[in-house]
Amino acid sequence: MSRRDDDLDEEIRQHLRMAAEDRGEEAARREFGNIQLIKEVTRDMWGWRMLERFLQDLRYAFRGMRRNPAFTLTAVLSLALGIGANTAIFSLIDALLLRSLPVHDPRSLVELIVYQNGEPIDSFSYPVVRALAEQKQIFSALAGFSGAKFNIGTGESIERTSGAWVSGEFYQTLGLQPLIGRLVAPQDDQPGAAPVAVISDDYWEAKFARDPQVIGRAILIENVAVTIVGVSPPGFSGANVGEVAEITVPLSANTQLFSEMTGRLSTGSEWLRILARPQPGISLAQVRASLRVVWPRLRNVAVDPRMPPQRRQVLLTSALDAIPGSTGWTYLRTQFRRPLLILMALVGMVLLIACANIANLLLARGEARQREIAIRLAIGASRPRLIRQLLTESVLLSSTGASVAIAFAWAASRVLVHLLSTWRGAIILDLMPDWQVFGFTAALALGTGILFGIAPALRTTAAHPSSRTRLHSFLVAAQVAVSFVLLIGAGLFVRTFENLDRIDPGFRHEGVLLVQGDLHRAINPARVPVYRDTLQQIEQLPGVVSATLAGNIPLSNAWFTVPAGVNGRTPSGESVHVYTIAPHFFETMRTPLLAGRDFTDRDDTNSVDVGIVNQAFVRCYFPDGHPLGQRVSLDRVADSGVQIVGVAGDAISQSLREPPPPTVYLPLYQRQTEFPTFVVRASGSLSRVASKLRHALQPQIPAAIQIHTLSAHLEAELVQERLLAALAAAFGVLALILAAIGLYGLLAYTVARRTAELGIRMALGADRARLIWMIVKRALWLLLCGMLAGIPVALAASRSINSMLFGLTATDPATIVLAAALLAAAALLAAYIPARRASRIDPLSALRCE
Amino acid sequence: MLKREPYRNRIELLQGTLDLLILQTLQWGPQHGYAISQAIRANSGDTLYVDTGSLYPALHRLERKGWIAAKWEVSEHRQRTKSYRLTATGKKQLLTEHSRWFRMVEAMARALNPRRKQA
Repeated sequence: MSRRDDDLDEEIRQHLRMAAEDRGEEAARREFGNIQLIKEVTRDMWGWRMLERFLQDLRYAFRGMRRNPAFTLTAVLSLALGIGANTAIFSLIDALLLRSLPVHDPRSLVELIVYQNGEPIDSFSYPVVRALAEQKQIFSALAGFSGAKFNIGTGESIERTSGAWVSGEFYQTLGLQPLIGRLVAPQDDQPGAAPVAVISDDYWEAKFARDPQVIGRAILIENVAVTIVGVSPPGFSGANVGEVAEITVPLSANTQLFSEMTGRLSTGSEWLRILARPQPGISLAQVRASLRVVWPRLRNVAVDPRMPPQRRQVLLTSALDAIPGSTGWTYLRTQFRRPLLILMALVGMVLLIACANIANLLLARGEARQREIAIRLAIGASRPRLIRQLLTESVLLSSTGASVAIAFAWAASRVLVHLLSTWRGAIILDLMPDWQVFGFTAALALGTGILFGIAPALRTTAAHPSSRTRLHSFLVAAQVAVSFVLLIGAGLFVRTFENLDRIDPGFRHEGVLLVQGDLHRAINPARVPVYRDTLQQIEQLPGVVSATLAGNIPLSNAWFTVPAGVNGRTPSGESVHVYTIAPHFFETMRTPLLAGRDFTDRDDTNSVDVGIVNQAFVRCYFPDGHPLGQRVSLDRVADSGVQIVGVAGDAISQSLREPPPPTVYLPLYQRQTEFPTFVVRASGSLSRVASKLRHALQPQIPAAIQIHTLSAHLEAELVQERLLAALAAAFGVLALILAAIGLYGLLAYTVARRTAELGIRMALGADRARLIWMIVKRALWLLLCGMLAGIPVALAASRSINSMLFGLTATDPATIVLAAALLAAAALLAAYIPARRASRIDPLSALRCE
Repeated sequence: MLKREPYRNRIELLQGTLDLLILQTLQWGPQHGYAISQAIRANSGDTLYVDTGSLYPALHRLERKGWIAAKWEVSEHRQRTKSYRLTATGKKQLLTEHSRWFRMVEAMARALNPRRKQA
């Protein structure tokens, strides 16, 4: 009570006193009316009542929460899980799609894309980057960049470290200042410039213990001494979201670090992303308009006379465009955008179901508080005021849940990112909640609080409350509907994953180790003898069954396709996949060789050009089925043709979702290839064989050796499907449990309320089966209503995920039936206990209750 | 169950007039809440009856607007009493309200008896 309240009391007492002197106390009171109400209306005039009332409601809500620990715990925990799951998924969406780079004025950055044949491409060649960087009338600075992996150090201490290639204006474009030293500048990115490197703050901390003397020191990158010139500002780890660039090197240093890969900086090598900062005052629309004007003059730079005419044509008709670039670049965005949005929808549905459950709990609690509320209404409390207070209570519940949720989401989003990481490398995202995440969670807390609080609040404060059962039934049917949608979605994703997982890739991935380590650098120039010797050495290691080399590996996202022609016809039309392999490839991969022979050590540059094709190739090019001895010519690879000496079984090439394509295998000893990988089939402990391989090969290879399994390639291929299937299934089960709990609560309440009626029915001779059927009928009726409401929603929603499915359509009847069966089973289980209770009602005690 | 709506409605109905009546009553000197209600009743020949549910909210609202000011005094019976007086802005407000009221009455009369105006 404030001083002001005391004064008001006093003022009213004064009025009553004076009136009593005139007309007597009794009449004065009657005349005055409802003192409490008048006080309240008067207080409203004071103006600052809103806050005071809110605090009062809050205090009251806190007390209510403490009085009902079981209810509070249930509600807060389920909200923490529901909101937490939403926040976790949103954190990923935020980190991947929404978060700005930690650079100066990220909003004004633009990313450039080029439309080739109408397809948006985000990769550019170095000459194009240089030419665009000169367009100072449009851009104050423009940078090309790409992620990289560097071998740092030498000998035993060699470490593979994530880094980045950047053009000279990279840091200028981003508007970054060095922590110490200087950053890469345009003069570092010139032919012949001494190679320099900028290290990240984290790397400085981890490797140099923040020693300022690091500036000017040389580190060995790819066995070349590179001078460290500066440390980039804390929090910045490159413009590639999802990767961390510890060491950043100017693009021109390619010449010194990878002297044998001269092509990287020339026309046609499109591997750099472009971020640019427009001149002050130039809008995105103006940038796009200017690009349309200047690009026709510049795009010649993208073309090389040695390119095939088709390619030249594509490049010369390309169009340059700009999009907002504040969020940097990441390949993850294209890959995970849709799965994340789908997961967001799934967790949203789980939260809705949880809200319905809490609303049911609140309804039950409202019943218990009916007396209290009725008294408060009777002594003059206004209904909006009571509703406001009840909503304060539910929002307090949801806010408490949300604050627990933030911690839960922080952990969960890390686990999720961990699940997404594959052999290609860990995905590193900044998941520290920012204001967008907090804002999202706060909005969710407020929204859910009102959502699950409003209906119970309205009902509890109504003058003539409608039947609780009706609202309760509606909520339960809604839960069933949402669960049904969720279960159908989960079923589709689980079955898609199963279908993909069951595919026979055409090779046996178990027990195969892949050894990569920039081998070409070690065994240049006299490669073939070295390959042979190394393979022999590997085959003699204990645990190795067979070993081979391959220029490219299935499911590694690096493929090579060219047009092919048979029997002297010019290569044209459909492209075939080309694999360059050493002998024993099919034996090692366990791909059957169906006809002819494998390559041998003698298939080298001194002998006839040969090739092996797969069945798909035979089906496509030799429908009559006599490929052996025929000739295949491959555009630009083997224009004069190779002789087919064998036919291999079909095997998956680069995508599990596509059937094995027509493939031509060429002998590695006849064709030079840049990045051969050792493929080793081992028996027993793969890790022991891996360490033996490492030990045996390291002296010959001046780079970090990476060994992973072929199985990891398959897993990586399915990472998105596996994640969706696992999470959708988990959410589906959760939804099922929540809906079953909701249904159980409703039926149990019905039985409790109708105990007397059921007792009378029983006394009048109704048999137990009939009573059980009454309850089960109710459950089935709710189930039916929910499902009928859910089906159109599910059909509409699943259409949008059709392209992500494999081996079934979005309206797959089996999945829908399975989801319905699961729901029905859960519903019957939920009905079991209340039904049994109904059947065991003792008529006598039931009647005595009355 | 008591409803609060009737009080609300009456405040809103009387909003302009009650404010004017209070200001008018106070122009002859400070008064207590009870005295104000009695004065309005007496001056209107027992026609206008001011409901306490409207009076006190109105007094507090006018106080907040700064048209009237309240003062606590201790009476001879050692009881605290609150009295209201008209402020300078309140006086100005009274004049405007006054003329507006008469304009309104005139307009209402004309609107309700159009024929007499023509005659």
